[in-house]
Amino acid sequence: MSKIVSRNVNRRDFLKLGGIGIAAAIVPTLISQQSKASSPLAGKNLAMVIDLHRCVGCGSCSIVCKNENNVDGDVFWSSRISKTTGRFPNVRFEYITTLCNHCEKAPCVRACPTKAMHKGDGGITKHDPDKCIGCRYCIAACPYGVIHFNAGKSHEFWRDDKPLIEGATPSAREVTQAVNGKVIPYYNPARELDKPGTGLRKRGIVEKCTFCDHRVSKGQLPYCVEACPTNARIFGDLNDPNSEVSRILGKFHGMRLKEELGTEPKVLYVRTYSTGTHPKTKGSV
Amino acid sequence: MTMRNETKQSGNPISEEELMNSDIKKLNRRDFIKAAAATGTAAVLAVSLTPTLKALAANNQITSPADEIGKWKPTTCQGCTSWCSKEVLVVDGRAIKVRGNANSKVNGPASCPRAHMALQQVYDPDRIKTPMKRTNPKKGRNEDPGFIPISWDEALNTVADKIMELRNNQETYKYMLMRGRYSYMRDIIYDRMTKIIGSPNNISHSAICAEAEKFGPYYTEGEWTYRQYDVLNANYILCWGADPISANRQVSYYLSAWGDASDRATIAVIDPRLSASASKADEWLPIKPGEDGALASAMAHVILVEGLWYKDFVGDFTDGINKFVAGQNVNESDFEEIYTHGLVKWWNIELKDKTPEWAAGKTGLPVDQIKRVAIGYGKAAPHAISWVGGGPVMQVRGAYASMACHALNGLVGAVDNIGGTLKANKEYTQSFPGVDDYLDDIAKEGKSHKKIDHRGRLEFPALNQKSGGGVVTNNAADGILNEDPNEIKVAIGYMNNHAFSCPQDERWFRALSKIPFVVHLTTNASEFTWFSDIVLPSTHHMFEKWGYVKVHGNGYRHVTLNQPVIDPVWDVRTDETEIPWLIAEKLADRGFDNLLRHYKSYIDPETGKEPTNGQEFALYALKHATHKLWDPEEYQAGDKFNGWEDFRSTGVWNSAPYPFKKRWGAMKTDTEKFEFYSETLKRVLGEHAEKHETTTDEVLSVCNYQARGEKAFVPHYEEPFTHGDSGDLVLVDYKSRLNREGRSANCSWYHEFKDLDPGDESWDDVAKINPIDGKKLGIENGDRIKLVSPTGELECTAKLWEGTRPGTVAKCYGQGHWVYGKVAAKEFGIIPRGGNNNSIIPADYDRLSGSTAYYGVVKVKVEKV
Ligand code: SF4
Ligand code: SF4
Ligand code: SF4
Repeated sequence: MSKIVSRNVNRRDFLKLGGIGIAAAIVPTLISQQSKASSPLAGKNLAMVIDLHRCVGCGSCSIVCKNENNVDGDVFWSSRISKTTGRFPNVRFEYITTLCNHCEKAPCVRACPTKAMHKGDGGITKHDPDKCIGCRYCIAACPYGVIHFNAGKSHEFWRDDKPLIEGATPSAREVTQAVNGKVIPYYNPARELDKPGTGLRKRGIVEKCTFCDHRVSKGQLPYCVEACPTNARIFGDLNDPNSEVSRILGKFHGMRLKEELGTEPKVLYVRTYSTGTHPKTKGSV
Repeated sequence: MTMRNETKQSGNPISEEELMNSDIKKLNRRDFIKAAAATGTAAVLAVSLTPTLKALAANNQITSPADEIGKWKPTTCQGCTSWCSKEVLVVDGRAIKVRGNANSKVNGPASCPRAHMALQQVYDPDRIKTPMKRTNPKKGRNEDPGFIPISWDEALNTVADKIMELRNNQETYKYMLMRGRYSYMRDIIYDRMTKIIGSPNNISHSAICAEAEKFGPYYTEGEWTYRQYDVLNANYILCWGADPISANRQVSYYLSAWGDASDRATIAVIDPRLSASASKADEWLPIKPGEDGALASAMAHVILVEGLWYKDFVGDFTDGINKFVAGQNVNESDFEEIYTHGLVKWWNIELKDKTPEWAAGKTGLPVDQIKRVAIGYGKAAPHAISWVGGGPVMQVRGAYASMACHALNGLVGAVDNIGGTLKANKEYTQSFPGVDDYLDDIAKEGKSHKKIDHRGRLEFPALNQKSGGGVVTNNAADGILNEDPNEIKVAIGYMNNHAFSCPQDERWFRALSKIPFVVHLTTNASEFTWFSDIVLPSTHHMFEKWGYVKVHGNGYRHVTLNQPVIDPVWDVRTDETEIPWLIAEKLADRGFDNLLRHYKSYIDPETGKEPTNGQEFALYALKHATHKLWDPEEYQAGDKFNGWEDFRSTGVWNSAPYPFKKRWGAMKTDTEKFEFYSETLKRVLGEHAEKHETTTDEVLSVCNYQARGEKAFVPHYEEPFTHGDSGDLVLVDYKSRLNREGRSANCSWYHEFKDLDPGDESWDDVAKINPIDGKKLGIENGDRIKLVSPTGELECTAKLWEGTRPGTVAKCYGQGHWVYGKVAAKEFGIIPRGGNNNSIIPADYDRLSGSTAYYGVVKVKVEKV
C-alpha cells in the first residue's frame, strides 16, 4: 500500500489527451445485438451524461466504483482529470470525472484478437475474462487510458498476514476471515451475480468499467450514478427520445472526450465545471 | 423528500434494489407511496412484492439471489460534524456499502465521499481487537510502549484500582476525562462519571473544534451554536474560509444543493487558497491570512454608505436621508432601529473610516472587487448569507473577526430569514438522570477544585455565555505539565487524539508522559495511545454502537441514531456507555457503588426495567434520551412514530420546518435585538474583569487584543497576530474533503484519492507554494522540504501551485501520523507519513472564546531537505 500509485489517466496526460472535443450531432445508432433478444437491455443505447456544472469534484463516484466492483488500490475504473490553470489570482481549477466511454466505435474491441473485449447489450463495452489472454492490445488501442492490466494478484493489501501489534491487532487476512468476506472484508457479492467468479479479477487479464452491467441489467442505476451526491451523473437510453439523457442532450451541447478520433463515446459532458459568472466588460486593446 | 433515483434513472424510477433491500415497511409509511405516485409507479406497489421479485428474476435470469440477501440498515455517520443519517447495506452480517438515509430531511439520500471510507475504518486491520497494557514503564515519543494484549477483566480491574486509590486518598480532583468526538451519550462518561468520582476535570475538545465560530453569533444574536444556511433561497452566498462542498457542516446536504444554489446565488469565497468551493465560485477573494475582519468592516462600510442595509430589519434614518458618509460621525438620535441595536455606535466607533481603499491595503484584494462584492451582497438583502467558517476566526484575536463577519447577516436582515442564516430547530431529546443523589463528600470536595485548563482565569476568559463558561482544551497540556492547579494522576481519553490534533503536539507528548496512569478508549493505536498505560478497544460509531446525535440543515433538525448494524468485529466495547458501566461495576466490587447505582437509574421507558449489563444500559439510556421522539404519548412536534421500534428502524426523527423570523425582536441578547453594539459582551466581559478586580481594557491587553474602550463591544478589525517573524511564508492550514476528522489516514482510499483536494497529490502530503515564492526560495516542484516554525518542524513535498496566495504556504491537515496504523504511518511508531501541521503550529489562543488558533498564526521557514 505504500507505493505511489498512478492513475490510469493522470493530470499530466491531460494535455496529451487533448481535452474535450466537440461533438457533432449525436446520432443514436443501432447496436449490434450479440445476445438473446430477451435481454432487458436489448435495443437500448445506454449513455451517461455528466453535468460538469453540478459536479463538485468530490470523487464519490470513483470511490464507490471501487466499493461496488471490488476494485483494487492502484486501479481506477472511474477516475478523473484535474488541472489548475492561470496565474494567481486568476486561477482556475477544473475537474473532469472519467470512466470507460463505452464508445460506439470502440478501438479496444477492434484491437482485441480474441473478442474478449466486445460490445454487449445496450451498447456496453464488455470484457469476458475467460477469453482474455492478457495481450494488452486493448490498452494500447484505447485513447482514454481507462483499461487496466493486472500484473499481479489483486488486493495484496488484504492478503497480508502480519499484524501491526502482535496479539492485539488482527492481520488484514484475519479481518476478512473474521467477517466471511472474500479477499476484501467489504467484498460486494453482487458484482459476480451474472458471472460467478468475476467478483475479483484474475492476474494476467485486463479490467475496466462495465457501466455496472450487473446492476443495469436488473434495472438498477450504475452505482456511481446512484451515489453521486450532486446528481451530476445521469444515465439512460439515447434511443428513447424521452429519457432524461435525451432530454438533457436536447438542451445542452454534449461534449465528448477526443471527439476528433471518431470513437463516438457514450459518456457525454454538458455545461462547465466553473460555475461562476464574470463582471460585464468589453475588454481592452 | 424525493425518492432516490427518481430524477436520475430512465426506465425504472425506483430501482429494484430499493424494492428488494429496503425496509419496506418504513418506505411504505414515509415516502414510498408519495414517491411512487409522483413517478407513476403506483402499479408496482399495487402488486405484492413477491411476484415482482419472481417476475424480475425470470426476466433478467438472475442466477443467484445474492442481491436479495442484503438489507439497508439505518445508522449515523460522524466522519465529520455534519452527522448525517445513513444506511449501511449489510450482507450476511457484513457491512458492504453506505448511503444517505433518505428519511432524513437534513441530508436525504446524498452522501459525501468520505462516508464510504467508514467501511475501511470498521474493517481496518490495525484496529485494536482486545485490551492492551503497556509493558515499557518509560513514556515518550521514542519509547515503544511494548503493548501486550490483556483481558477485559484485567484491564478494568487496573482502571478501577487506580480510581479507588484517588478516592481513598481523597484526591479525586486528580482524575481527568478528555473527550474528543462524541455522540450525545457523552454525558454518561464525560459528565456523570467524572462528577460521581469527584473531579472538576472533564475537558472537552470543543475549543480545538470551532468555538470562535459561535462567538460572533452569540454576542450579536444570542446563539452559542453553529448556523444552518438556507442556500436554496439565497441570492448571495459569502463564504469566509468556509468550504461547504468539502468540509464544514452538513456537507452531504450542501453537496446535493450546491448546483441549484449556484444557479441562483452569486457565490463569493474568501480564502487565501483556491479551495474546492472557490474553484466553483463567482468570486474568489484570495485574502491575506488574518485580514478577514478588515474586509468585513469595509463591506459593512460600503453597505451603509450605499444605503443597502435592510431597512425592515435594521430601520432607517428618521428623515429617510442616508447620513453614512465616509469619515463622518452620525448622530445616534437620527437613526431609528427596529430589530437591531447600536448600528450608529458601530459606524462611529469602527466603520466610518473602513473604506474599501483602506481594506485593500490590509487584505491584498483589489478595491473594485471589495466594492463589487459588498454591493452585490448588499443588493441581495435580505437573502444574503455571510457564512463564517473556521478560517478567519480560529485565530489569535479571532473573536472579533467572528463578530465582524457575522454582523453582515444582521446588516442585510439575513438573520433568521428566508435565504439567510438560521439557528437550530427545536428538538425534544432529554437529559440523563441527575447526579445529586450520588455525590458523596469526597466527590463534592473533589469537584469543587479548579479545572486543569485554566478557563475563567484573567488570561483565559473563554466567554461561552459567561466568564469561564467555555473550555480551553489545548491549554490543559500546560496545566498538566505545570501541575497547575494540581497534578493529574489518572486520565481517561476517548475518541480523542490530543497528541495529534492539538497544535504544538509535543506539549502533549510531555504532558501525557507525565501523567502516571493514562487510559485510552480508541479504535486504533493512535498518538495519544502511545503514551497510555491501558488501552480499551472501542466500537466504531457508525456500525457497532448505540447513540444519537442532533444536527440541523436544510431548514430542519434531525435526531439520528448510531446503531449496531453489525456485530462488533472484535472484542470491543462502547466508549460512552458500556465501558463506564463496566468501570462502575468494578468500583462497586471495591465498595464504591454510587456510579453503578446511578447508572441503574436509567430505566427502560418501555418496560420500566433497570439495566443489568452494559449493553442494556446503553440501549435504555438511548431510549430514555429520545423518549419524547418515539413515544406517541409524549409526542411534541416533527415526525411522529408509533413506538421505539418504529423510530429505530427508520433511524431518524425530523423536526418541524424552520419558523422564519420568529426571533426578530426576541433574540437571547441583553437587548433582545441583534446587537451591533454588544451590550451582552459588555456585560459578560465586565463580569470577567470584575471577577479579577480589573478593567476590561486590562483583560483585553492581557489577552492580546488591540481594542480598548468601547471598541471592545462592537465587531471590529484587529490585526492578525502571527508567530515566527523570521519565517518565509504564513501557514494556511485547511481540512481535506476526505478527512474523517483526523481518523482517515489509515484508509487506502484516502491516499488513492488525496488529489481530490485541489492542488494535492495522491499518496503524498504536499505543501503548496506559489511559483513566485518557489523561485524566491529556490524550491522546485517535488522537492523534499521542511517547514520549520518556532515550535517544531515537519517534512513533506513541495508543490508549486498557482492556487496558493504568494506569501503563504497551504498545507492540508490530516497526515503526519507516526502511529495509527500501517498505512497512516510510514513506519509505525517511528516515521510519519507526511507531516502533521500541528507540529509547526504554536499553541496560542483566541482567548475570548478559548479557541485554539490554527490559522494565520505562524510564519514558517521553508528548507530543502
Ligand atoms: S460523485 Fe458526482 S459530484 Fe462527485 S465527482 Fe463524481 S460526478 Fe462529480
Ligand atoms: S458505471 Fe459502474 S463500473 Fe463504470 S464507473 Fe460507474 S460505478 Fe464504476
Ligand atoms: S463524513 Fe460528514 S458529511 Fe460525510 S456522511 Fe459522514 S457526517 Fe455526513
